[in-house]
Amino acid sequence: MTDNDLITAVRESFTGVHSATAVDRIESRGRALRVRRRAAGLAGALAVGAAVAAAVTALGPAGHQQPSHPGGIQLAAWTVVRQADGTIDVTLRQLRDPAGLQRTLRADGLPAAVTFSGQLPSSCQRFAADGALIRRVFSGHQAGGYPVMVIHPAALPAGAGVAINPPDQWPITNVAIGLVQASPQCTGS
Amino acid sequence: MGTEPDFAEFYHRARDDCLRTVLVSVGSQDRAQDLVDEAFARACASWRTVGRHPAPAAWVVRTALNANISRWRRRHREIPVADPETVADRPAPAGADSSTVDPRIMAALLHLPPRQRQVVALRLFLDLDTGRTAEVLGVAPSTVKAHLARAIASLRDELVPTHQQES
Repeated sequence: MTDNDLITAVRESFTGVHSATAVDRIESRGRALRVRRRAAGLAGALAVGAAVAAAVTALGPAGHQQPSHPGGIQLAAWTVVRQADGTIDVTLRQLRDPAGLQRTLRADGLPAAVTFSGQLPSSCQRFAADGALIRRVFSGHQAGGYPVMVIHPAALPAGAGVAINPPDQWPITNVAIGLVQASPQCTGS
Repeated sequence: MGTEPDFAEFYHRARDDCLRTVLVSVGSQDRAQDLVDEAFARACASWRTVGRHPAPAAWVVRTALNANISRWRRRHREIPVADPETVADRPAPAGADSSTVDPRIMAALLHLPPRQRQVVALRLFLDLDTGRTAEVLGVAPSTVKAHLARAIASLRDELVPTHQQES
């Protein structure tokens, strides 16, 4: 059996799979989504107006409240933004350039070990931590379909660093996180 | 005026292939149907843009798979774990719902790692070339080729009797 025969056999095994949903139902749902989006767009415009007003106020003497990377470091694969309250938001869009993400986090003063292999670097040792501590250091949500980790550096115990090790697979269905013992070999400091 | 094709025409042409592609990824026909319906509805809502996409069916599949992540996130909220380890969203077992696919073939597909399964689905059912598949999955073209080769080798091991492989 050639590769083409195999591929044909797999493809043909799905010929009995058909979508049963009528186009009317899809279009009706599409119209509802469009209406909802327009309503959300209007609300968003109002919110932007309010945010601009707030930003003008913040640009006064209280400039130290700005993020350490104004506007965030925008890369195709991931984004790191340090918030005014000291938390660090990491948004993962693609699993590319783990070394760059690690460098960026370390430059923000966060001892970090990042891999996109699902594995801790061999130079790292886990830091004994219970679930409550992990929850104080990490929280998470989703934005635009991508996982966002919120790291709370102030909650890191002395001698600990963060480990971010999602497995190398798409879509990103999970992000493995944990604490490691900070060391020059593992977390850079 | 836009030059995009009619949405209904696109839907009738692409819906089965999109469903099959997502089915291979999530392993449950009922869940795949829900995800694909919602993705097509979103495509319909943004048809002026999506209709001009170079591969609108790939857009639908990607939207469906992203919605599957959202669904997973809603069910699991946060996953703070003491040790860095993976918590995979396992596909439902074959035959768990109304899928009409040969259970042996479905089982072989579900034994593939998720990324290999997605590459196979995009290549087989959407007929995407290596470059477009790489774009949809956010990986390098060489990675797509490697995953496809490994996936075919695994499928061959599972589906083709040994005496046939040797002949």
